[in-house]
Amino acid sequence: MNIISVGVNHKTAPIEIRERISLSEVQNKEFITGLISSGLAHEAMVISTCNRTELYVVPAMHEVSCEYLKEYLISFKDARKDVRPEHFFSRFYCGTARHIFEVASAIDSLVLGEGQILGQVKNAYRIAAEAQCAGILITRLCHTAFSVAKKVKTKTKIMEGAVSVSYAAVELAQKIFSNLSMKKVLLVGAGETGELAAKHMFQKNARNIVITNRTLSKAETLAEELGTNKVLPFESFKEHLHEFDIIITAVSTKEYVLSEADMHQSMIKRRLKPVIILDLGLPRNVDPDIGKLQNMFLKDIDALKHIIDKNLEKRSLELPKVQAIIDEELVGFGQWINTLKVRPTIVDLQSKFIEIKEKELERYRYKVSEEELQRMEHLTDRILKKILHHPIKMLKAPTDTTDSMPSRVDLVRNVFDLEEPNQSH
Amino acid sequence: MNNILLDNLPLLILNQLVSVFYLITTFLYGADFFRDRQFAQKYKQPFLALTVFTHVVYLGLLTSIEGYKINYSTVNLMTMVGLTLTITYLFIEFTTKSDKTGFFIISFAAGAQLISSILTTQISTVGHPFTGIGIGVHLIAAIFGFSAIAIAGLYSILYLLLFRQIEQNRFELLFQRLPNLEVLEKLTMHAVAFGFLFLSITLFAGMIEQKAYSETINLLEPKLVTLIIIWLLYGTGIFVKPIIGWDIKHMAYLFIFLFVFVTILIVLMTFFSPTFHGLTF
Repeated sequence: MNIISVGVNHKTAPIEIRERISLSEVQNKEFITGLISSGLAHEAMVISTCNRTELYVVPAMHEVSCEYLKEYLISFKDARKDVRPEHFFSRFYCGTARHIFEVASAIDSLVLGEGQILGQVKNAYRIAAEAQCAGILITRLCHTAFSVAKKVKTKTKIMEGAVSVSYAAVELAQKIFSNLSMKKVLLVGAGETGELAAKHMFQKNARNIVITNRTLSKAETLAEELGTNKVLPFESFKEHLHEFDIIITAVSTKEYVLSEADMHQSMIKRRLKPVIILDLGLPRNVDPDIGKLQNMFLKDIDALKHIIDKNLEKRSLELPKVQAIIDEELVGFGQWINTLKVRPTIVDLQSKFIEIKEKELERYRYKVSEEELQRMEHLTDRILKKILHHPIKMLKAPTDTTDSMPSRVDLVRNVFDLEEPNQSH
Repeated sequence: MNNILLDNLPLLILNQLVSVFYLITTFLYGADFFRDRQFAQKYKQPFLALTVFTHVVYLGLLTSIEGYKINYSTVNLMTMVGLTLTITYLFIEFTTKSDKTGFFIISFAAGAQLISSILTTQISTVGHPFTGIGIGVHLIAAIFGFSAIAIAGLYSILYLLLFRQIEQNRFELLFQRLPNLEVLEKLTMHAVAFGFLFLSITLFAGMIEQKAYSETINLLEPKLVTLIIIWLLYGTGIFVKPIIGWDIKHMAYLFIFLFVFVTILIVLMTFFSPTFHGLTF
């Protein structure tokens, strides 16, 4: 029994190819159900996100190889013109397990340690399970992957630190102020960037967020969405600058919305209490000279990117720890796979001994009392358990070489005269 | 008077052990801060508690020989500085839940204890014991006052370093590991407040004790003048911020200066003056 995976991701193909081959939830279900119903696979699952479309398949026949599955997916998407097998990666057996562990723990992601991928893997498994395409192997593979991801999240720092500009802005604010709920935040601009930054601030307990925007209605909508309901008219917000500890600007303008003179006056009014200005606009919204004022922290996108770079660097230092966790789980998964190979032999062995026991006990059924028969049954059960303990343990034990497992199985089957195993899944 | 420690081997061993524990604790806090080592994260706090416990036991046994009276000597002064610094830090760590500044405080305490242990084996006498509650309060408050000054100075240094890193977009180790600027400011100001309180007690207890000995207070005595200047500067430090809004950055420079100044003063006093204020105890 083998498990193979083929797929297209950000490492193997450009975005046009990834877009062309990606599957919607409906297509995903249709695709894996087709593989199973046509008898090509025992089990199948597809992870399809914006950065990857990957198949995990337990083939039902030798013909179903990696190349076959690549062609099958390309045909399914009718993408022969754009997508070629060279755009795919291929993994087998433990390689497949390692790959999905790396995917679930977010070390295979475009942004190292991003937090969404685990949810996407869980969703892929849910689709496969609902379509009854996830059998014993894919179920075990996915649950081990979830456990790996959980361990990685709790035991390493791979997901720590901001990796987006808006989150980096919040991280920086938290390095200056201890409690954002006590600080007053001004958001200049209610566009997408500003909204994201305001939402991150809100997540970190900043509740006193005031929004100003050229179009007042947009500011009001965002304020309502955040639940702050505080807006300032764009024409007069500068009169209130001294009230704010954090100012976020994200407007599309060629002129500075804050000048050095504005902030100088504001700093005098607030008796030099520290202020952080996060200029998320491009071109910049704030006069760079403001940064020279005392107790003023002015940070633009470039400065925030420094934080992101440092965080990514820090995350990459965690990779050996993540790999160690994956290696450990991979050994456990490999051992479990091995027990799958010996499971028919164990079942046959136990059945054979139970059959012997029952036959022998049957001979005494009418010669002894019911109570004595129960005692004899109990005794034989204990004897059988002890006799079978060592052979089963030996069969389940980890193997050092690839060929020792079949030889063990053959040995046990010959010694106990077991019939040839059924080759079915 | 003979050296109590040199005549008492178990006590001498305990003295050296305290230094070793300080070094281990410093190493653990350093390994956690600079290298983010998991073992250090796990063991640093138990070792800190063990170090404080051993130190208290050591001081208890040491003073028990003289009827629980502390002696005035460089050896004892340094070991007391080490202990009070560590206890103050322990208090800060438990109340603020911030354990990332330990290396900077404990390494200083370890230095003081190390000097004490080294001097123990080199100085033949350990000084004269103090008698009276007043002088005891005076000395203990002075040592706690110095610890607070040291902590305020050290936190001020950390504040300025972090401030610089943020200002210059150098988001490096200190940015990643230190508590935020506001917390460092609070820690500094709390230390200053404690320092001012203990220095006030030192002055007050000293004056009462001097009156009790029916000695006239020489207001021009350099040590007294220095102490009063430091006390005034600390008092100004506490009230200047809320009153005239002097920013913490400037105050940090003042606290660093005071810390360096007081440290030099104590070193000079302990090495070149066998007694305080010309009094013989």
